[in-house]
Amino acid sequence: MKNCEQFRELVEAYALGALDPEERAALEAHLATGCADCSKAVEEARWLVSQLAYAAPEAVPSDMLKGRLMQSVRADAQALSETKPRVMPSRSVISSWLWAAVAALFVFSLYSTWNMRRLQDEIRQANDRAAALLQQRQKTEQQLAAAKREAMILMDPSSVKISLAGQNAQGPQLEVKWHAQLGVVVMGENIPMPSPHHVLQLWFIPKAKGAKPMPSMMAWPDANGKFILLISNPPESMDATKALAITEEPEGGSPWPTSTPRWSGGVS
Amino acid sequence: MFLAAFTSTGHPEVSLDATLLSRLLQKDVSAFEQLYDRHSRLVYGLVLRILQQASTSEEVVQDVFLQLWRNADQYDSSRGPFVPWLCTMARNRALDQLRLKSERQRRREDQPDELPPLVVAPDYEKALDEKRRAERVRALMASLAPQQKKAIELAYFEGLSHSEIAAALKEPLGTVKSWIRNGLLRLKEGLRATT
Repeated sequence: MKNCEQFRELVEAYALGALDPEERAALEAHLATGCADCSKAVEEARWLVSQLAYAAPEAVPSDMLKGRLMQSVRADAQALSETKPRVMPSRSVISSWLWAAVAALFVFSLYSTWNMRRLQDEIRQANDRAAALLQQRQKTEQQLAAAKREAMILMDPSSVKISLAGQNAQGPQLEVKWHAQLGVVVMGENIPMPSPHHVLQLWFIPKAKGAKPMPSMMAWPDANGKFILLISNPPESMDATKALAITEEPEGGSPWPTSTPRWSGGVS
Repeated sequence: MFLAAFTSTGHPEVSLDATLLSRLLQKDVSAFEQLYDRHSRLVYGLVLRILQQASTSEEVVQDVFLQLWRNADQYDSSRGPFVPWLCTMARNRALDQLRLKSERQRRREDQPDELPPLVVAPDYEKALDEKRRAERVRALMASLAPQQKKAIELAYFEGLSHSEIAAALKEPLGTVKSWIRNGLLRLKEGLRATT
C-alpha cells in the first residue's frame, strides 16, 4: 500500500500519460479518496507537462487551413445570428403595422359577413329548390297514383258506366265509371271552359226523398277540352245514389248547387 | 469563470488572450481569428511533431480550433490558463490520431468532444511571452542527457508508457521511470528559476 509520498512520485508520469495501467489505476484510486495534496500535485504536473509543447519546433500551417477554418466559423456565426430573436421594431413601425392589421381585420370581417350572407342565401335557395322538387315529385307521384287508380277503375269490368248528358243535346257528353271500392272517374272530351272564376263541380244526388245533393270534387277541363275527375271517396253505396250532376260553381266550390246542372245522368 | 484565470496574470499577452476569449464567448469571428493567428503556429508545430504528416496535422488543428469556437461558453476558470489548455487538447487529439493510425488503440466514437483535464499554473509560474517560454523550454530539454530527453519525448510526443519506452530504448523499466521523473523535475526547477 503506497502512501501519499509514494504516490507523489508518480504524478509527473501520470500527467504525462506514461504510467502503466496498474500504477495509473492505483493513483486514480488514491485521488478518488479526495487527497487534496496529491490532486493539487497532479494539476501542477499537468501544467508542467503542457510546457513540453514548446519543445516542439513551431511550424506555420497552410493558408488553406485558415481559410477552411474561417469559412466554417463564419458560416456557424451566420447561422447563429439568423436564429437570434429579431430586434423589436420602433413604436411608429408598430403603430403602422397595428393599423394595417386592424384595417385588414376590418376588411376581412366585412368580407366574412358578406360571404356568410351570400352562403346563407345560396343555402336558402337550394332548400327552396329542393322543396319545390320534392313537392313536384309528390305531385307527380299523386298524379301517377291517380292515373293508375283511374286506369284500374276504367279497365275493371265491375265498374258501372254512367252517362252524363248535357243541357245541349248537341254538346259533348261526360262518361262516369263507378267502382265500388276504387272510386268514381268522370271524363269527357271537348268540354268547354266554365265562366271566368268558376269551376265544374260534381254532385251526388241521393235517392232518399228530401235529401240534398252531396257536393263532391271540382275540376277544369284542360286546354284541349279534356276533362277528367277522380273521386276516391264516393258515397259508400251506389244504390243510395239516384243520379250524378255537374254544375258550374264559383271558384272554391259550393256547399249546394247554385246553378242548373250542365251535365246529369241517373245511376241505374 | 475561467476568464479570471487569464485576467489574474498581469502579462499583456495573457490579458490579450483573456480579452479575445471574452469576445469569443460572444461569437466574435474577429476574436477567433486573432486567437488563431496568435497560437496556431505553436499548436500546429506540436501536432506536426507528433503526427509527422502535414495533411493529418492540419485536420487535427482544424478540429482543435473548431472545438474552441463551438465550446468556448462551456469553459470555466477551473480549466486554468488558456495556452496550456489549448496545447493539452491539441496533444490529446494528435495522440488519438496517432493511435488510430497505428491501430494500437481505436478512438472511441463517444470521445471526440472530450475536453482536456484540469491544468493549474503553479504559484511560481509567471507570465512569459511565448517566444521566451519556448526558448527556455527548449534550452532546458537540450540540457538533459540524450536518453533522458528521448524518454520524455517518447512519452510526450508519441504517447508511450514507461514499459513501452523501456522496450523501445532497451533500458530497464526503473531507469526509464527515473529518467522521466528527474527530467521533468529539472524542467520544473528550470522554469521556476527563470521566473
